[in-house]
Amino acid sequence: MQFRIKHLKRDINQWSFYTMAIGLFVAIPVFAIVIYLFDGVGEMWRHIVNYFLLDYIQNSLFLLLGTGFLTFFLGISSAWIVSNYDFPFRRLIEWLLFLPLAIPSYIVAYAYVGLLGNGGSLITYLQSIGFSIQKVEMMNIFGLIWVLSFSLFPYVYASTRTVFKSHPNSIRETAYLLGASNRRYFFSVALPLASPAIIGGLFLVFMEVLNDYGAAKYYGINTFTTGIFRTWTALEDLQSAIYLSALLVVLVFLINSLVNWLRGKRSYAIKVGQQSSTHSRRKSLNGSKRIIYPLLLAIPIVFGLLLPIAQLSYWAMLTLDTMLNAELFWIALQSISVAFGAAFFILITALVLIFFSKWNYLNSVHFIKKVATIGYVIPGAIIGIGIIRSSQTVINFFSDTFHLKIGYLFYGSSVILIYAYVFRFLAVAYNPIEANTLKLGKYLAESSYLLGSSKIKTLFKIELPLLRGTIISAFLLVFIDILKELPLTLILKPYNLQTLAVKAYEYADDERVAEAALPALVLIFTITLMMMLLNYGNKKLTSFGKPANKQMK
Amino acid sequence: MLRQFMFIVFIALLASCSNEGQPKANAQEDKQSDQSITLYTHRHYDTDKAIFAQFEEETGIKVNVVKANADELIQKMESEGDQSPADLLITVDAGRLVRAKNKGLLQTINSDILTQSIPAHLRDTEGHWFGLTKRARVIVYDKDKVNTEDLSTYEALTESKWNNKILIRSSGNIYNQSLLASIIANDGKEKAKEWAAGVVENFARSPKGNDRDQVKGILAGEGEIAIINTYYLGKLINSKDSTEIKAGNAVSVFFPNQEDRGTHINISGIGVSRYAPHKENAVKFIEYLASKEVQEIFAEANYEYPVNPSAAPSDLLNSWGEFKEDKLPLSKLGELNKEAVIIFDEVKWQ
Repeated sequence: MQFRIKHLKRDINQWSFYTMAIGLFVAIPVFAIVIYLFDGVGEMWRHIVNYFLLDYIQNSLFLLLGTGFLTFFLGISSAWIVSNYDFPFRRLIEWLLFLPLAIPSYIVAYAYVGLLGNGGSLITYLQSIGFSIQKVEMMNIFGLIWVLSFSLFPYVYASTRTVFKSHPNSIRETAYLLGASNRRYFFSVALPLASPAIIGGLFLVFMEVLNDYGAAKYYGINTFTTGIFRTWTALEDLQSAIYLSALLVVLVFLINSLVNWLRGKRSYAIKVGQQSSTHSRRKSLNGSKRIIYPLLLAIPIVFGLLLPIAQLSYWAMLTLDTMLNAELFWIALQSISVAFGAAFFILITALVLIFFSKWNYLNSVHFIKKVATIGYVIPGAIIGIGIIRSSQTVINFFSDTFHLKIGYLFYGSSVILIYAYVFRFLAVAYNPIEANTLKLGKYLAESSYLLGSSKIKTLFKIELPLLRGTIISAFLLVFIDILKELPLTLILKPYNLQTLAVKAYEYADDERVAEAALPALVLIFTITLMMMLLNYGNKKLTSFGKPANKQMK
Repeated sequence: MLRQFMFIVFIALLASCSNEGQPKANAQEDKQSDQSITLYTHRHYDTDKAIFAQFEEETGIKVNVVKANADELIQKMESEGDQSPADLLITVDAGRLVRAKNKGLLQTINSDILTQSIPAHLRDTEGHWFGLTKRARVIVYDKDKVNTEDLSTYEALTESKWNNKILIRSSGNIYNQSLLASIIANDGKEKAKEWAAGVVENFARSPKGNDRDQVKGILAGEGEIAIINTYYLGKLINSKDSTEIKAGNAVSVFFPNQEDRGTHINISGIGVSRYAPHKENAVKFIEYLASKEVQEIFAEANYEYPVNPSAAPSDLLNSWGEFKEDKLPLSKLGELNKEAVIIFDEVKWQ
């Protein structure tokens, strides 16, 4: 420790300050919540510990384990196949595999009961073709694992696919020259090289699982998050609820340290720059792979996308006459514009934090980054409390010292909502971009510095273009997350703002799932459209980018 | 270079803030100065919107609506303090209104119109909140398997003849909490705990799904009786999904405790915020919602019972017959809610 302090003066620079300032600003809600912690546990704490804490922790851990395994398998197998093999409709399938993320998990949970529950549509169909099946019980912890895994695996898929795709041919050729089989290459080279990205993706899955409320509640599974809400709303003990959230954050920190420990001190830098040869290396399927691989791809698409969408479409048809109107279109537009704006800010914040802290040498700054990205694990409603409380402090300050009423700025506009999104979803953009920045290594940047370019110039001319794929997929993930977000949107949105997720929720909350289907489908459609646009934009950029690169050389 | 970059980011931030915020904020300020009310509500029904629009048309008072869960709205009002834009709070149960009152978020309203049109047990004694619609928590039973004579009271559900036959949702649900709170108020805490333990003993399956799913469970033969709110049955029968219609028609309604205190009811209700910027308009709004004509539409759309005795329930509700309701002051439900949840945890009612 003393050693470090001695070097403090040497290690600290302007970037340390910028990182800290931005990190602290984003992390304000954490501090607001921490202040609550000083008031001690609430009166129901003993009751909570006696009656449900252990049960809730067990369930949550079991869920994490189950979804961890399933999303790992689904995400990696599909990412591997689409990035290494060529087959009909490959590009389409590559996109379809993202889409399960577009359906809010609680809607998927409802859809599965609609399919497989009592008198479910799939059950009825199976009965009509001669199967004697009553129902498939979805409403238990295994059903919940199933639902969450099939709606969340794209996190693993997305981050892993980017890495698999960027593995240069040279590595593969070297491995083969050294006599490695395909299998050996996958397990000993490709998988370890992709591990930071896989872990980053799994981390996102874990956070989503821990944060899930709607699906767990509907299936009657007590988890940490349902416990937090029970404590807050039913036991009327906000104080203990915040303590439970703090415990959850500790759990996440444990998972996070485990991740870092797994990642170790190894460097995952690969020399990139031979990406032009990636396309030629895709092989066609042969032998038994011709049957197994398409099957492996079909599983996530059928269970994560086609079946839920079929059920939603069925419901939407039933309610089309009442639900289809021009308003839905406007709601979609509003959702898109808010999500777009917020996603933009999240990306900027993530990039700034990543690169500023990379340029600084003070290790303790990394702690601030951790705090700033913690928003992803705190239940949205608790964040809402933290944000309302901190903005209230600002409002009171202005009204006390300047006699200015600025409350309307906070409650009547989207500013505070967008800030909340940045806090909530920073990790979604931050983790994959950081993983890929690590993979870039320092060579390129350092060469650029040696050639006399400034840090900023290097960032814009070299590092950002190289990260473009990651940035775009991060943008997409954040965009999707914001479109689906509920608790913060409900509590912080100005009342003239309507979003698709809120609309769907209002119906589902009222046990009118069929009516919720059309807004949910529009949500999925919006996300699909967005993905297509980004894909198109990305291609354009690539074609623009090429001559520019040549000039640079 | 860095400065330029920072400058651009700063400008972008400013620009977006002004784009996102200012116009709306100004617009809102304008609104606040003239005729408008801001409503925090937990009700999500489409018909509400139509009624608000009609109110706007008749009075020229604009209704701004914030929809979220009651707990979050209460927390929001609490945090916003005296700068809260909320004029009114609507919840879908009495317990939350009592909670809002206890937190000092509501104010007393003296309105003869309201005291005349809403029965005393459906509003706060000090005028902090008023019921708008009623819902009864009833027993529905399998028409084919259950004999009506076997049903009598909530208390009788613990009898061993119902072993493995009762379907009910989880204890996280407010309507179950209110039901147990009413049993605590009527029978005492000890009896209530025995009751809850007895019902758990008779569960057909571990609690899951919502009220509609319980009725579907009866259709599938998983249980024979279910405890649900009346309006969900209305929704099932009028659903567009054939399975739901079948489920709704497979059961009949039984109003428990007709020989003694009456069937447990809850309300969806409204209160005026303590710092309401437009108190007068807010009272006008409540009086409007309590009027006979509006009550009929307001209640019928969601298959609820109107609180105003002069308003008639819908045909479907009439077909289930009249019933005696538990006249327990609803504020009791709020006071005993926490105790009910503690009992649920103790008897392991999931």
